[in-house]
Amino acid sequence: MNISSAIVHAGPGQLPVVQAGLAGLEGVEVHAVSPEGKLIVTIESADDGSNVAIYEEIGRLQGVMSTAMVYHQIESEPDLEVSVEAGRRAEPQIKEI
Amino acid sequence: MKLTRREFIKSNAVAAAAASAGMSIPGVALAATPQSEEGVRWDKGVCRYCGTGCGVLVGVKDGRVVATQGDPDAPVNKGLNCVKGYFLSKIMYGKDRLTKPLLRMKDGKFDKNGEFAPITWDAAFDIMADKVKATLKEPTQGANGVAMFGSGQWTVWEGYAAVKLMKAGFRSNSIDPNARHCMASAVAGFMRTFGIDEPMGCYDDAEHADVFALWGANMAEMHPILWSRITNRRLTANHVKIHVLSTFSHRSCELADNELIFKPQSDLAILNYICNYIIQNKAVNQEFVKKNVGFFQGVTDIGYGLRPNHPLEQVANNNGYPGADGKPKGDPNKHTPITFDDFAKFVSEYTLDKAHEISGVPKEKLEALAKAYADPKVKVTSYWTMGFNQHTRGTWVNNMIYNVHLLVGKISEPGNSPFSLTGQPSACGTAREVGTFAHRLPADMVIFNPKHREMTEKLWKLPAGALSAQMGYHAVAQSRMLKDGKIGFYWTSTTNNMQAGPNVNGEIYPGWRNPKAFVVVSDVYPTVSAMSADLILPCAMWMEKEGMFGNAERRGQMWRQQVKAPGDCKSDLWQYMEFSKRFKMEDVWPADVLAKAPEYKGKTLYEVLYANGQVNKFPKDETAKVNAHAFAGYTNDESEAFGYYVQKGLFEEYAAFGRGHAHDLAPFDTYHKVRGMRWPVVDGKETLWRFREGYDPYVKKGEGVRFYGYPDGKAKIFALPYQPAAEMPDKEYDLWLCTGRVLEHWHTGSMTRRAPELYKSFPDAVVWMHPKDAEKRGLKRNDVVKVSTRRGEISLRVDTKGRNKPPEGLIFIPFFDEHRLVNKLTLDATCPISKETDFKKCAAKVVKA
Repeated sequence: MNISSAIVHAGPGQLPVVQAGLAGLEGVEVHAVSPEGKLIVTIESADDGSNVAIYEEIGRLQGVMSTAMVYHQIESEPDLEVSVEAGRRAEPQIKEI
Repeated sequence: MKLTRREFIKSNAVAAAAASAGMSIPGVALAATPQSEEGVRWDKGVCRYCGTGCGVLVGVKDGRVVATQGDPDAPVNKGLNCVKGYFLSKIMYGKDRLTKPLLRMKDGKFDKNGEFAPITWDAAFDIMADKVKATLKEPTQGANGVAMFGSGQWTVWEGYAAVKLMKAGFRSNSIDPNARHCMASAVAGFMRTFGIDEPMGCYDDAEHADVFALWGANMAEMHPILWSRITNRRLTANHVKIHVLSTFSHRSCELADNELIFKPQSDLAILNYICNYIIQNKAVNQEFVKKNVGFFQGVTDIGYGLRPNHPLEQVANNNGYPGADGKPKGDPNKHTPITFDDFAKFVSEYTLDKAHEISGVPKEKLEALAKAYADPKVKVTSYWTMGFNQHTRGTWVNNMIYNVHLLVGKISEPGNSPFSLTGQPSACGTAREVGTFAHRLPADMVIFNPKHREMTEKLWKLPAGALSAQMGYHAVAQSRMLKDGKIGFYWTSTTNNMQAGPNVNGEIYPGWRNPKAFVVVSDVYPTVSAMSADLILPCAMWMEKEGMFGNAERRGQMWRQQVKAPGDCKSDLWQYMEFSKRFKMEDVWPADVLAKAPEYKGKTLYEVLYANGQVNKFPKDETAKVNAHAFAGYTNDESEAFGYYVQKGLFEEYAAFGRGHAHDLAPFDTYHKVRGMRWPVVDGKETLWRFREGYDPYVKKGEGVRFYGYPDGKAKIFALPYQPAAEMPDKEYDLWLCTGRVLEHWHTGSMTRRAPELYKSFPDAVVWMHPKDAEKRGLKRNDVVKVSTRRGEISLRVDTKGRNKPPEGLIFIPFFDEHRLVNKLTLDATCPISKETDFKKCAAKVVKA
């Protein structure tokens, strides 16, 4: 199981078209939409190849101006339960000077 | 809280995206990634691919890079990744990684026609040293017959060590980077207009401009992260407009307010028309021009960089080639002063009608573009890449975009920026700043200038006359000289010229297989180039070594060695330094030069170039000390091999060239702590916009703007005409052939084709063509066709839909696919000034296979 997230930019006035297009893609879920046309989406797929294929398909949707991937993880046991503490994201052990 | 792992990962993914997009999502908090729980060590790094220079976080577990992600603290990309950067962790782990030196052998001995067999590094260096010594002694070859073809993907110290080995060691100027194929016209443009290389602006312009103009740059696919910054600006500020100029329609056009599809080569006419429009409409910034600009007329019949016996070169009187009397025929770079009125008269013939006629672009579109540049209230940033640079008039067209910006004074301030993008991660940092070109020395200096040679000799502790003033062979000349038997030893690294160079059939392959040449390829995978060599050396790559890259906005960025390279792989740095131990000074320097430095008699090249009291100045334990903030006990393979902090020593010796000369780099240690800095770095502060008071420490109070690359502080505007391409479609070869890239693959695909996800998403090159052109030839989408030029042919599938939409009369083929080598078809015509090949224009025909 592959899970990734991306930021999608819709063109001016194109948000409804883009949202409709995204709704038609399997494994794609929209989590947030900003008024100026940015969408946060996740992509779930069985393998890496189809993850990229879906990502590419998003880029080709009518009204989509740009897409950028942000996060990607491969998970072999997606249905395993985990206990989660609020924590920190992956961070290098170095500080900005 | 209990979640499934799927939900947990998803919420992390959403949180990361929201943070990068600057959006807040209720109920989603940043959570620890599973990797960080499972003992993954994270450190900052730099992407291996293009010139954007995105920061990535690199996760290491059990000696392997297991994960990468966009670095949220990197100012360039703010946590974003393009699809290539996304799968970076896979590039080092292709199944066919080279791990042993391989020599062509028969009966246990080297044989140019033998089969590759593994040998030791010792044996590899033995035969290489023999071949270098033989070439130096061979009267038809000599010092410049020892040649190296390097890379804009070299780390800064690898390029620096290579230049020292070649120019100071072998006294050969025949070292050139693959950046010659991609950036040379941009460099020549900068040097001619400003007298100093590299953009004055920076990526921050993307957040300040009102208008963006793309000239021969498909940023949506080739610079996707910068494109996302432009998209963001376009979508958050209603007044912002985007103009896209190209010879075919592509993904960047989807965001364009004004799409200008022009006939190949006619950008020259469009640029002159814009200048004419600005002058006719009294939009010249008189005060700026009077104070900061001089006007010049360039020579025009400069040829096309073809071999001297080509008919186009025989009629060119300013190509610099030897004429009938043996003397050079003029100088393509020559230009003489004119007045503003002369310039105005020169461009006056480029009317709207004429520009339309030459370019084929509708008049209202041309006018809309000209208006944007002319309007004093509108801030314009122009971006360009290979459409300008890979051009037989590449230097001119770079000069001519500056003409436009200079006439209206839209330069060197936030949002007003002519900006040359780069295609390789260190085309700027290594190829240009270190000066790994045939004619260059560090910090914009050149071998022809006696003062520059003198300064370099002093900094390198060499006797006067150690450096040669004889021009070396540049990239295209190297291929020709290999074929002509003038190069006896050829070493290429971190590049794949047998796939990326022009006219493979006619020049490169016959050159490499010439029995008079011994060809060494240092690489990580069996590329087309490696398989065409005589000796293959296995390299360490990316996170397997400590490195520094310099990106397109003058930002230098360093990373630490994260993992060990497999097998016998060694970094290029180790290869150059270790190989230098094979030579005594008597082997490489003539007696008269050596007599001026008697203390070097009997020494090795290694002792003179590297163990010189400067490069070996910082003891090995500095390696751990400098990087103690990142992780305890840090070291790297070169510090271990040579016994001192090699990278720091090389960097500090190199940095001495630029400090105080407007190329100031920060101290070495600083780069290991920050997310890069943009030079000049003076008093710990980076420079965002050069040449303007208040931004650039080299411009004094009260000076306002000063183009200090030239002693008079003025930039140059050039009067240069439209001229046709070297080869144009005719009755038989009736289509323009343009080559380039696609989003999923980087250059020749030696890395991206080994990331299974990227390979699967775009496995084979196709030829994009207009549906009517296909129909005329009886072709349907996905048919296999034969594309041929006067130089060769290849077979591939045709695509008439999809991301690229060529106009009738033009086809586009990407060059990433080693099984469909489009460079068998391309013509090795170059800009006669920059010597950069025009990969965008030649004549081809397409028939059903």
